[in-house]
Amino acid sequence: MIRFLTVLLLALAFSGPAQAHKLKVFATVEGGEVKGYAFFIGGGRAAQTAWVAKDTAGAPIAAGTTDGEGRFAFTAPQPPTDATVTVDTREGHVASVTLPAARFGGAARATPPVLATDASAPAGGEADARLAALVEAAVQRQLAPLMERIEQLDARLRYADILSGVFLILGLAGIGLWARGRRS
Amino acid sequence: MAHIPDGLLSAPVLVSGGVLAAAGVALGLRRLDDRMIPRTAILAAAFFAGSLVAVPVGPSSVHLLLAGLMGVMLGTAAFLAVLVALLLQALLFGFGGLTTLGVNTVNIALPGVLCGLLLGPLIRATARPSVRLAAGALAGGLAVLGTGGLVALSLWLSSSDYTPAARVVIATYLPLALVEAFITAAIVSFLARVQPEALRPVAP
Repeated sequence: MIRFLTVLLLALAFSGPAQAHKLKVFATVEGGEVKGYAFFIGGGRAAQTAWVAKDTAGAPIAAGTTDGEGRFAFTAPQPPTDATVTVDTREGHVASVTLPAARFGGAARATPPVLATDASAPAGGEADARLAALVEAAVQRQLAPLMERIEQLDARLRYADILSGVFLILGLAGIGLWARGRRS
Repeated sequence: MAHIPDGLLSAPVLVSGGVLAAAGVALGLRRLDDRMIPRTAILAAAFFAGSLVAVPVGPSSVHLLLAGLMGVMLGTAAFLAVLVALLLQALLFGFGGLTTLGVNTVNIALPGVLCGLLLGPLIRATARPSVRLAAGALAGGLAVLGTGGLVALSLWLSSSDYTPAARVVIATYLPLALVEAFITAAIVSFLARVQPEALRPVAP
């Protein structure tokens, strides 16, 4: 009986991917559009979840529901302002990320990135603006995996933290026993 | 989830949660003696680590609480175990929050302590393993449902905006209650066979 229960328990405990519990939001700016996704540390995305983007004054810029992969996207605010994206699963998990206005610098020129081979290269200021937008897009493409990597590293630190937590508790017990022993 | 983050609850809920938790911890501290300290620490560590492994259920995710087991094995010292584990989770992982520490402690520990008070005597006294198994399962399941109810109540008392959230919370706690019932029953039966002493929070 006990053996059967143990097997059942183990099956229940490990069915489905083990998933930690903190919600995080990742966002990046790509060609005048803010893209990102909400995910749980340890794996899993927050799908079909309400999100809202607000500027510094708290006025909403955009809102919606994440798709099946937890992704969201909206056009960058004009003029550039700090944008805070908040994802709320409505059951106690809330996470937000703030994109500083500087991240919208390239997007503020409102020039969609164009192919460099575009033959009809306009002269003067407009060419500069296009170049800036291209550079902006390229840098974002390079940065995105790095930033994802940083978030993953952040998540991996928790294994060290679990161990320190367990041993902190054991240490507290030791201190308690010592204090009682001294008193008696 | 059982860990309510900062900034969701209203001040009266936070304050009353804090007062209740302080009272529970005071009760638990008076109970601590040399044989209870290591046991409290081990269960606090188990709860601390167990809460970090969450299984997704629908739009939410659930994790083990072990509150019923703590209630049976620790009595009121369960408040202390939960408080220490939650404090470390808040500081190390940002689960829950420092202002909601009191409310979360009460939400998790109180149903477990009550289940321990109600079903503990039966679990300790009965000679029939099947009765003990059933009582253990009941303690584990009821403690989880109690926690779900208290979390929903805290959200609902703070703002009626959270009513849909409260429903989600209760729905996700049903499967968790089943799992906890199995686990608590298994551990209680195991302890009753190999070390019945471990089920007594008060020295005879």
